[in-house]
Amino acid sequence: MLLVGFLGWWYNTGWRGQVSRIGDTMIRTNDWFSIPLLIKTFFAPFRQISANEIGNDISSSFRAWSDRMFSRMIGAFMRFFMIIFGAITLVLILIISLIRLILWPIFPLVPVIGMALMLTVGTPWNLF
Amino acid sequence: MEPILKFRSMRGVKARFNARGGRFLDLIAVALTILLLLGGAALLILAEPIGWLLLGLITWPMMFHIWKVHDLGQLPPTKNPQNLSDILEGDLLGVLPKDPSPRDLATAVMKTNGGRFFFVRFGISAQFLPDLASPEPADSEPIWAETLKIHESLPDKPETISAATLTAAIVRMTPAMKDILSALHLDEDDIVNGAEWFSHLGALIRYHDEPKLTGGIARDWDFGYIPTLQYFGVNLSAKYSASRSFNTHLESHQELVASIINTFGSGGRQNVALIGPLGAGKSTIVDSFAETIMDGTNKIPNNLRFRQVFALDAASLISAASGRGQIESLVNNLLVEAHEAKNIILFLDNAQLFFEDDTGSVDISNILQPVLEGGVLRLILSLDEQRFLQISQAKPALAASLNRLQVEPPGRDDVLKIAEDQIISIEFQRKVTFMYQALVEAYRLSERYVQDIAQPERMIQLLESAAAQAENGLVTAQSVVTAIEKTLGVKVGGSVDADEPAEREMLLNLENLIHERMINQTAAVSAVSAALRRARAGVRNENRPIGTFLFLGPTGVGKTELAKSLAAVYFGGEDHMVRIDLNEYVRSDDVARLIADGATDPNSLSAQVQKNPFSVVLLDEIEKAHESVLTTLLQVLDEGILRDINNREISFRDTILITTSNAGADRIREYIDKGYKLEQFSDQLQDELISTQEFRPEFLNRFDEIVVFRPLTKEELLQIVDLILDGVNKNLEVQKVMVTVDTDAKQALVDAGYDPRLGARPLRRVVQRTVENIVAEKMLKRELVAGSGLRITLEDLQDSGGLKDNSQ
Repeated sequence: MLLVGFLGWWYNTGWRGQVSRIGDTMIRTNDWFSIPLLIKTFFAPFRQISANEIGNDISSSFRAWSDRMFSRMIGAFMRFFMIIFGAITLVLILIISLIRLILWPIFPLVPVIGMALMLTVGTPWNLF
Repeated sequence: MEPILKFRSMRGVKARFNARGGRFLDLIAVALTILLLLGGAALLILAEPIGWLLLGLITWPMMFHIWKVHDLGQLPPTKNPQNLSDILEGDLLGVLPKDPSPRDLATAVMKTNGGRFFFVRFGISAQFLPDLASPEPADSEPIWAETLKIHESLPDKPETISAATLTAAIVRMTPAMKDILSALHLDEDDIVNGAEWFSHLGALIRYHDEPKLTGGIARDWDFGYIPTLQYFGVNLSAKYSASRSFNTHLESHQELVASIINTFGSGGRQNVALIGPLGAGKSTIVDSFAETIMDGTNKIPNNLRFRQVFALDAASLISAASGRGQIESLVNNLLVEAHEAKNIILFLDNAQLFFEDDTGSVDISNILQPVLEGGVLRLILSLDEQRFLQISQAKPALAASLNRLQVEPPGRDDVLKIAEDQIISIEFQRKVTFMYQALVEAYRLSERYVQDIAQPERMIQLLESAAAQAENGLVTAQSVVTAIEKTLGVKVGGSVDADEPAEREMLLNLENLIHERMINQTAAVSAVSAALRRARAGVRNENRPIGTFLFLGPTGVGKTELAKSLAAVYFGGEDHMVRIDLNEYVRSDDVARLIADGATDPNSLSAQVQKNPFSVVLLDEIEKAHESVLTTLLQVLDEGILRDINNREISFRDTILITTSNAGADRIREYIDKGYKLEQFSDQLQDELISTQEFRPEFLNRFDEIVVFRPLTKEELLQIVDLILDGVNKNLEVQKVMVTVDTDAKQALVDAGYDPRLGARPLRRVVQRTVENIVAEKMLKRELVAGSGLRITLEDLQDSGGLKDNSQ
C-alpha cells in the first residue's frame, strides 16, 4: 500500500509540484534580474547622476544636458548587459528545468538503464 | 465533513510510516545515495561495469528522500476532504491509534508540537490531561465534532487540523478539566485563543517562507544617491527586502495603510499625518506601509511600487544639530536629497517637535509647510495627539495642510494578538518563553498601572521587563507581577498574591495585626478590614478605590494611626501613605495645586499617587476644603480616577482613600458622655452633619463606610502607654538599653496625660517629658550603659517634674 502511495505521489502530485517549483524559480529569477523594469527604464539616467543647472546661460544648460546624456548612456549600457545576462540565465534555468521535468517520470527506471549500460557498454572506456 | 477517523486511509498509512521510521529511513537514504555515488564512480574508474548499476541505483534512495521532504514530511490535506483523516496534520495522524478514546487522543497530542505548545504556554500538563480524559472510544465523537467547530472558527484558516486545535477540543469537552482550568487562571475561551495562537504561528511561518518579489537588482538604478538620508535615517523598506516582518496585520491597521496608499497613489497633497497617543502603533503602521509597497505581489499603484520609506526621528535630528540654523539646513538638505532621489517617502517620527519652539523642539514649519502643501515630496508625519491639538490652535494653516489619519489604541483582543507576535523577538533575544497567562496578566496590569503610553506599547514594555524575571526561562503571570512591582516599587496584589498562604493568613487576621499597633476602635478596624478582604478576594469593584472611608471623631483617637497601620499591614510599610492636609485647600483655585503636574509640583495629590499608586491616601480635615476641591474628589470616590491638570488619568483604584474630619467631635463626646454606644448614634450623627451643612449628602453617600471614632477612655490610654513605651524601647535598641515602667507609674502617666478633647496626644508628650528625659539623663551620667536595663518607678516620675508640667 505504501508503494502504491509513493508511486501515486511521484506520478501525480510530485510531478505537478515540480512544475510549480520551476514556476516559482522562474518568477524569482525574473524578479531578481527585473528585466521588464530594465527595459522600461532603459534610457533613464543612472542613479540620477547629473550636475545641477546653475545659471540661465546656454553653456550651463548645455553642461547639464550633456551630463544627463552621459548618465543615460551609462544607464543604458549597464541595463543592456544586465538584460542579456538575465535572459541567458532565465533560458538556461528553463532548459534545465524542462529536462528535469521530462526525466522525472523515468527516474524510477534509471537502475534498469544502469543495468543495461552494465550489460551493453561494460566499462566507460569502451565509449571512447 | 464526517467527524470520523479512517485509520486505513492512504494519508493515515503515510503518516504512521513517517512517524515510526520516516526520519531514520531518510538518513539511511541520504547515506546510501552518497555511498552508491562514490562506489559506482570508483568501480567505473576501476573499469568494473557494475559501477553503472550502482550509479543507476542512486535514484531510488534519492526518490525516497524527495518523497520524504515534499510529501511525507508535510502531508498536505486531501483535496475535497471527506473525513478527519483527510485533514488532520501529519504529525498527529501518525501517532493516533485505531478507534482512539479521548484518553488516547490526549496521549497522542502530547507527542506533537501542538500539545507541547499547550503544555508550555498554558501549563496544561502531559500528565493530567490523559488521566482526566475518558477511556471510552465512543466518547471521542463529540471531541472530533468540537475539533471541527474550533478549526472552522480559526481566523487564519489553516489547511490542516493541528494537534493544538484537538487539544483545545479535548480540554473543552472534558468536564473534569474545569477545576484545573480555574486553578491555572484560565477559562474555555482562553483555550480557544490558544488554538488560534498556534494556528497564527503556523501562518506566520508560511508567510515567511513565501517567495518575495522585491524588485531585484535594478530596482533602484534610476533613483538618486541619498548619503545624508542614509546617515541620519533608517530605511524601513530595506529590512523587508531581506525578510518579512512580524508586524501584526490588524484590520484597523490595514485600513490605515490602504488610506495612505490611496493618498499617495492619487493627486493632491502628498502627505499623511498619523495622529494618536504615544505607543498606539503609528510607527507600526508606517512599517506595514513600507512592507506593503515593497512586496511586488501586492496590488498597488505603479508610482508607489518599491518606493523606499526612510524614517527620520525628529528628536535625533534636533540633538544632532547645534542650533536653529543648523537644524534648518540639515532638514533642508534631507528634503532636497529625498526629492532628487525620486523614490523616497520620508517618515518624520515625533514630528510635533518640528512645529513648536520649546525644550527639545525647534519650530521649522516655515521649511516643512511649503513641502506639505506643495506635494513634490511624499511625507508621513507621526504626531502626538495632545501636542497636535496645541499645534492646530497655534498654526491652523499648517493643520489644514495635513491629510490626517487618526490612530486609535487597539482593543484588548488586538493587543493580545500583537503581543503574541511581538514576544517572538523578545523570546528569541532573551531566551525565554512566555505563558499565555503572563500575556493576560501583562495586559491587565499595564492597562491599569502603566501611564503616559498607550496600548499596545505599554503592554510590550511590561513584557520586556517581565522577561528579566523569568524563572527557568519561563515567564509566568507571577513574573509579570514581580516586574511591575519592581518597576513601581509596590505590591500589585490581586488573585495571584491572594493564593499565597501567608497572604491569606494576613487577610484573615487583619484585625489582630492592626490592633498590635492601635488600641480599641474595634468598629473602625473591622470596617476597614472587611473592605480589604473584599479587595484581596477579588470581589470588589475594580473600577473604584479598594476602600473609601470617612473617619469622624475628635483628635488623637487613632484616625491617623489606623491609616498608618493599613499602609504598614496592607502595603508593607508606612511610607506607602500619601498625606494631604485639606485645610491648605480652602480656595477654589487650590484645585489646580491638588491636581498639578508632577513636573511642576511633586507634592500635589495627583503627582504623589501617580508615583505611589498602591498607597493609603489620607486626606486630613476634609471639612475645611473648598467646595470645588470636594467636587474634584467625587470622581475619585466614584471611578477611582483623578484627571490631572494635563487631563491625564491618575488611577486611585489601588489606593485606600481615607478622609478624616473633626466635624461632630463635640457631638460624639456628648453622646458618649450620655452613655450611648457608637452604633446607636452613628446614623443620627451623619444626619446632623448634613443638616448643619458641614457635608453634602451626595458626598457622604459615596464613601464605603463612615467610621465614627469615639474618645479614648483612661483604660485605653493605659494600653496606649505600653505602645508608646514599646516605641521608646525600639528607639533604644541601638543603645542596647531596655526601659520598664512600674504599673502605678503608668497610671500616673495616664492621669497626667488624659485630656478627653485631645485624645492620646498629651500622653505622648508626658512620656517624652518624663520617661525619655530620665533615660537621657541616666545615659549621660553613665548610670545607664549598653546591655543594662532601667526600671522607672512612680517616684522617678514625680522627681522628674514632668507630671507636674502637664497639669499646668
